[in-house]
Amino acid sequence: MRIDCPLSTNFNASQASRPPVTSGVPFAAMKTDLPQPVLLDALESSPKSFFSGSSSKLASKRFAWASFSVIILFSVLASTFAQDEKRSELSAWEHSVVTIEVARKQYDYFLPWSKRTIKLRKIGLVVGARQILTTAGEMFDRTLVRVQKGGRGQWWIGEVTWIDYHADLALVTVSDAKFWRDLKPVVFDTATPSDGALQILRWRDGNLESRRAEFTRYTVREGQLSAVNHAVLEAGSEIQGAGWGEPLIANSHVVGIIRAQEGRICVATPASFIRAVLEAHKKGAYHGLGYFHFYWQPAENPDSLAWLKLPGEQHGVIVTQIPNRPDGGAQVLKPLDILLKIDSFDLDIQGDYNDPEYGHLMLENLATRGKWAGDEVKMQIWRDGKAREVIYRLPKFEYSNALVPYAVFDQEPEYFITGGLVFQPLTDSYLRSWGSEWKQRSPFRLNYYNNEEPTKERPALVILSQVLPDAYNIGYQDQRYLVVNKVNGQRVNRLPELRAALAKPMNGFHIFEFAEGESLRRMVLNAGGPEQEATARVLKRYGIADAAYIASDKTN
Amino acid sequence: MLKKTSILFLLTVNWLTVGLAANPERSVIQIVTSSQQPSWDAPWRFEPVRRGGGSGFVIKGRRIMTNAHVVSWARQILVRRYQDPRPYLAEVEFIGHDCDLAILTVQDEGFFENIEPLEFGELPKVRSTVVTYGYPAGGEEISYTRGVVSRIELEPYAHIGNRRFLGVQTDAAINPGNSGGPVVQDDKVVGVAFQGLPGLENMGFFIPLPVIDHFLNEISNEHYDGFPTAGIRVVPLQNQAYRSLLKLPDNNLGTRVDSLLPIPSTEKVLKEDDVLLRVGAFPVASDGTILYQGNRLSAALGFQFAQAGEAVPLQIWRDGRQMDVSLPIYVYDADRATGYQYGSLPRYYIYGGLVFTPLSLDYLKTQGRAPADQSGIEAYYELYYRRNESPATARPEPIVLASILADPVNANVASHGSTPVDKINGIRIEKLDDVVRALETNTNAYDVVEFLPNHNFEILEHGKAAEANPEILKTYGVPKDRRL
Repeated sequence: MRIDCPLSTNFNASQASRPPVTSGVPFAAMKTDLPQPVLLDALESSPKSFFSGSSSKLASKRFAWASFSVIILFSVLASTFAQDEKRSELSAWEHSVVTIEVARKQYDYFLPWSKRTIKLRKIGLVVGARQILTTAGEMFDRTLVRVQKGGRGQWWIGEVTWIDYHADLALVTVSDAKFWRDLKPVVFDTATPSDGALQILRWRDGNLESRRAEFTRYTVREGQLSAVNHAVLEAGSEIQGAGWGEPLIANSHVVGIIRAQEGRICVATPASFIRAVLEAHKKGAYHGLGYFHFYWQPAENPDSLAWLKLPGEQHGVIVTQIPNRPDGGAQVLKPLDILLKIDSFDLDIQGDYNDPEYGHLMLENLATRGKWAGDEVKMQIWRDGKAREVIYRLPKFEYSNALVPYAVFDQEPEYFITGGLVFQPLTDSYLRSWGSEWKQRSPFRLNYYNNEEPTKERPALVILSQVLPDAYNIGYQDQRYLVVNKVNGQRVNRLPELRAALAKPMNGFHIFEFAEGESLRRMVLNAGGPEQEATARVLKRYGIADAAYIASDKTN
Repeated sequence: MLKKTSILFLLTVNWLTVGLAANPERSVIQIVTSSQQPSWDAPWRFEPVRRGGGSGFVIKGRRIMTNAHVVSWARQILVRRYQDPRPYLAEVEFIGHDCDLAILTVQDEGFFENIEPLEFGELPKVRSTVVTYGYPAGGEEISYTRGVVSRIELEPYAHIGNRRFLGVQTDAAINPGNSGGPVVQDDKVVGVAFQGLPGLENMGFFIPLPVIDHFLNEISNEHYDGFPTAGIRVVPLQNQAYRSLLKLPDNNLGTRVDSLLPIPSTEKVLKEDDVLLRVGAFPVASDGTILYQGNRLSAALGFQFAQAGEAVPLQIWRDGRQMDVSLPIYVYDADRATGYQYGSLPRYYIYGGLVFTPLSLDYLKTQGRAPADQSGIEAYYELYYRRNESPATARPEPIVLASILADPVNANVASHGSTPVDKINGIRIEKLDDVVRALETNTNAYDVVEFLPNHNFEILEHGKAAEANPEILKTYGVPKDRRL
């Protein structure tokens, strides 16, 4: 099923079957550029030259020779035609695929006060009136966005008009009307070619590079920048270094944009997901991605369904645990409910449903298949020997829903330094400082907090990440990675609470209490003058401009 | 802890031949073993027989001293005398897995003829010269290597994996096969070679006299209990603020008790924030060390001279004043699963082809995963962290579903890797006996096995599972359905 991008309304159906061509260019110029008219002219003119001014016999011989020549010529021309057509098709994409250059701040969470900037380039697609679509990856903490068309020439100042890290999509525009003059929006399509042949496009050294790819499968994965599951398209290719928003093309339509590459597999956000998000955004109906905030297990063991007294054919999965909803909403599911159907889709015992577009996909995709945070999902469940229907309202995915937030974007790393003690919120952004294998390399206990649910008493964690040595903190220099429980008797979950607690020392001392475990449990330091002097000394000695960065200070 | 101990290697060798030498090498023994370890993930089974070897030396009382790891899981121990081609059968008389020492005996009286037992010396000085004797790999003759004592401190003992005792580092070449051999100074034994660090040349470790003496004292009453543990975690007390808060004089003495293990005898005597001023005869410095024979060593050493059940006199600082207390210390084995286990075979219970076994370091090692791999993360937390962080929720013996012996009765039960079992038929599983009770007393049609942490579960038809069990055991050659 073909789905035109809703934003390309100036594109008619006949054009939609071909690669997009550039608008705003005189037709004659277009015609000479395109191979098809040129080829037709040649075919019409060449035979005429053979027949002109000849007798019939000679004409007959000539006709035979001419026929043979025409066949040869036709073959040559046909080959040329194919190459030219390919070149033409590629040439057409040059007016829809652009390069985006992002300059952004790069933070070192081990030194949260230090900032560097990096520049990188990615691919954007013209998707509508003054709109360029790209992935949200590397668009965070940006300081400057520039856009280049045609793979060379002028860079135009771009502006991100909308970004959603959870959906991993961003829209960029350029205010200068001249930029848009010869650009044409692409068409999205979800159809996968029967032979699985796909094409990846990107600008390389001023040329539009086209690389082959082969459709592998549709599946469900976590988002590139979030823990929300949604459908992705996986394609195998020999291309290297992809994953920067390159369009994946099938039958001259965009079927996805590549968000990551893992070995030979390019992982693309599929067109229908993009289309649905953009459409909802345009209508103002997009409130972020929702998700199923409960744990379930497949019911592949038929005894488990029998134990729960489900009659008839085996289907459905079993709900095992329901954490508190992040929005505080009522729970409609219970442990040991059998989830039979979500909206109109039957669930099999693996937890898959049959998606009309993608085939069998994991049920998690039904939280993002045209549904957004706050939307209702109808569920048919089996509980206490009876089938019943419940309405499940999708909670909004927020990084802060987790005890250890998945990421922090568009915000400088928070920290608080007192007397050389450096405190930071525990986030995955911090843990990722251990590199690509951070789950193995970061301190086990800190990483294990990812397996714990936030509670009312402990919604977030602050850690003593390091101690910058100073005479004031002597004896504690080697302490690090300690989770703060209390400071001066007050519970501390966030940096503002730490600051407030430090404002109330106990008999001239600061008493720090850390989480139980094998690490240090208690630390005492002098409060008041010695502390302030030490902080000033540490900032100067270690070249730190500010003793703290607390994001809420900026917003309040 | 796991990571640190795993980088140490033990100095046994797979196979060595007889060597020749003269005094005191006449007292150095070559040990050849055939050993067979149990399979911790298929606990009724054993791994293939491995031939290995090490060294030992004769001590008074017609005994041979060697390392525990040389003779662990041995099916047969052969010992060879210097220049004597005849192998003699030996047996383990005493073995201390925590301190990696063992005593062997040889029934054949002729073995000890013309062998003078070696005498023990004392803790060597740093920078002094020592000679190691043994039968390391790379040759057939007895080997002597001379080196300097580089460092003396508490070292992790790799054989047990979760204990630290006094160890001496030397640059004498100590190689695989040296294990159990004597380290000699002035014709007296000052240590037993036992481990090295891979990748670091000229760095070997030997067990010094204080540890050997403790072991020998312990076996003097004909059995070995192990080193006792005080069960306290002390941290340096060098920040002036903390010392002021505790009203402690600024005299560079005293280390602070930061936390206590849940050992009643210790909790009765000590509290958090007590300051240890003296352990036994040793004043404790503010960095948590004592001065022992010219070496600054962790104050933990001060407790390691006491035998199990003895009381260690302590001088402490509490509530602004000095106090003398006496701390009885005992062998602590609640954490035995966090170290390598020897001697007794792994316990298990098989029901409907489901193999349940206690979670242990030995079991986790069979899974071959990094601790933070998602499949092992719960087990790792359960084994190493929960007891310290949340004693109230900790289980004395966490249980895992180690494997599934495939059979139609369990065909649809999914493997849960090393994920600990939470409940079975509604009964919280604290130890292996609970598994047996929960399954064998069930009167319902189904058995429900729940796993940590998200309450994932598996179901078996109770009647069919119980009925199928004997046939499953037969199919897989499992002699018994349990070892409890």
